[in-house]
Amino acid sequence: MGSEPGLMDTLAEHWEIAKKLRSLQIHFDPEKCKGVWQCYEVCPIGCWTPDYERRVAIFHDPEKCVACGACVLQCPEDAIELK
Amino acid sequence: MATVFMKWLETSPKDYDRGIQLLTLGKLQHVKERIVRDYIREGTRVLEIGCGTGTLTAMMAAQGASVTGIDASPAMLAEAEAKLGPDIEAGRVTLKLMDATLVGDRFPKASFDVIVSTLVFSELSPDEQRFVLEACTTLLAPGGRLLIADEVVPPRSLTRLVFYLVRLPLVLLTWLLTRTTTSALRDFDSLLAQSGYRSAVPVSCLSGSLVLYEAALSQTPGTEFQSPIPKLRHRVTLRTLLVDLWALFFRIIPPYPKFKTGLYAIGNPDRKSPVLVTGNFDLTVRRVVKALDGRADIWLLVADSAGINVWCAAGGGYFTAEKVIAAVQSSRLDEVVAHHALILPQLCANGVDGWRVREETGWGVHWGPARAADIPAYLAAKRKKTDAMRWVRFPLKDRLEMVTVTLGFYGLLILLPVFIFWRSMFWPVTVSMVGLSYFYAVVHPWLPGRDGLRKSVPLTLIALAGLFIYTALRDPLPAERLFNWVVGLTALSVFTGAELQGMSPVMRGEQANWGWEAVIGAALGLVYWLTPLALGWR
Repeated sequence: MGSEPGLMDTLAEHWEIAKKLRSLQIHFDPEKCKGVWQCYEVCPIGCWTPDYERRVAIFHDPEKCVACGACVLQCPEDAIELK
Repeated sequence: MATVFMKWLETSPKDYDRGIQLLTLGKLQHVKERIVRDYIREGTRVLEIGCGTGTLTAMMAAQGASVTGIDASPAMLAEAEAKLGPDIEAGRVTLKLMDATLVGDRFPKASFDVIVSTLVFSELSPDEQRFVLEACTTLLAPGGRLLIADEVVPPRSLTRLVFYLVRLPLVLLTWLLTRTTTSALRDFDSLLAQSGYRSAVPVSCLSGSLVLYEAALSQTPGTEFQSPIPKLRHRVTLRTLLVDLWALFFRIIPPYPKFKTGLYAIGNPDRKSPVLVTGNFDLTVRRVVKALDGRADIWLLVADSAGINVWCAAGGGYFTAEKVIAAVQSSRLDEVVAHHALILPQLCANGVDGWRVREETGWGVHWGPARAADIPAYLAAKRKKTDAMRWVRFPLKDRLEMVTVTLGFYGLLILLPVFIFWRSMFWPVTVSMVGLSYFYAVVHPWLPGRDGLRKSVPLTLIALAGLFIYTALRDPLPAERLFNWVVGLTALSVFTGAELQGMSPVMRGEQANWGWEAVIGAALGLVYWLTPLALGWR
């Protein structure tokens, strides 16, 4: 069999992902939040809860977060970052 | 580790080219030469749908044509870009990352003299084929030609038999060498006629199983032919049993079993029935059908997720807003239902940008429950999701299933070499691996630690305790052999604990553990090598 795409290249690429994945954390700016709650809709773990009175989302249980990025992608206000 | 091997096993662009060469016994090249010789002149404006690595693109550009090539695969397109650098700089070739179903929207009307496509249509569902063909009628300039080279199932039954007999070993061989496979078109002539073309077959090779269709716009417009929307029922057949069996052990080895994309009916849906979207992994579609058949009347839109489950496909960039948009547009949902609400699986929200789908299609996006089994209750509650429907769990049944999947893969990866090179250790390693894995699956929720790596610490302790109790009571081992067992079981426990983590959305991907797995592996290696030297066993 041919050498491409190269097991080592693939390993190296995933090593980069691996290095980041363990330390990725949610950074949430409540100032930007307008209470759309897509984060709550899509989080498979339950790290987000809507605060209906103040119309903002609350991020809790950061240690449970699996860093899937769903809330980041679906937030229309760009209030969430994963880094 | 599984992720790396999945990626590595995926067909690379070069493998794909070799695979196609082998599958068509080199005849596709012959067809491409005929296309260039007979249809391409200086200045011909060409749209190539599915340019792949750009072999035909380069041949047409060399003939003086101005070629726009599109392809849905970033890897293929990158290869084509490298190959066609000078042509792109000189403005002879333009490459775009695009799904075939989107061509109608993205190019001006009547802007191409020739539209050419090789081995693309056979990858599309019948709905998508018709949609792309109709889009091409508006893109062709007066007198323009549509050229489609593809594999076809021979119409006569005897040649069809020969076709399958010759094809089967060839398909197997090609897959083994290059992980490439293709499917074949059926009854394409009538589809061309229905879509408003008159067609001829100027080139036919391999007893009519590889042909070139030349199609021109016919004076009579296409008959507004609407194929009936296929109905899906939950059925257990020999085929589904075999696919299930394969998937139970080897689902992470490509190519993944795919379901034809397109719109389907479950039950007896009408114009008000909800529309659910899902990916085209065969198991996913069948599990959705099983959960809904007899419980709800719905439309199921199967979009292209590269044959991967929605969570992994969305996470890996295979299931995107673009794929959902393409499915919505090519399925003519607008004509089938009277509302504009899509229900997407919640577990694809990590890759499908809901806002892009909303903006580009005008359809509303609702995130459905995480599990198919909750869909009937979710629909009955008028799309209200409880927290239980929203949050993923990893119950015993799923843990047992996923442990079996990991065992299938690592069985091949670890046990096969052990069987070949270290036969005497085959059964001990097999029994430890299988026993440890299922034990872990059962006790997983009760082991302390949030992730797989931390859970592997108590798992290791339990395994070692078991080993010591067994050897003390039943089978006393000499110190050297006990030492080997301790090192081996520790390694296996850490590996088992850490790797299952990637098999459920309740934890981060197993890659998060690699750093520590590497460190622990190196440390164990060192201990295995140094201890006997220090104690004078070797």
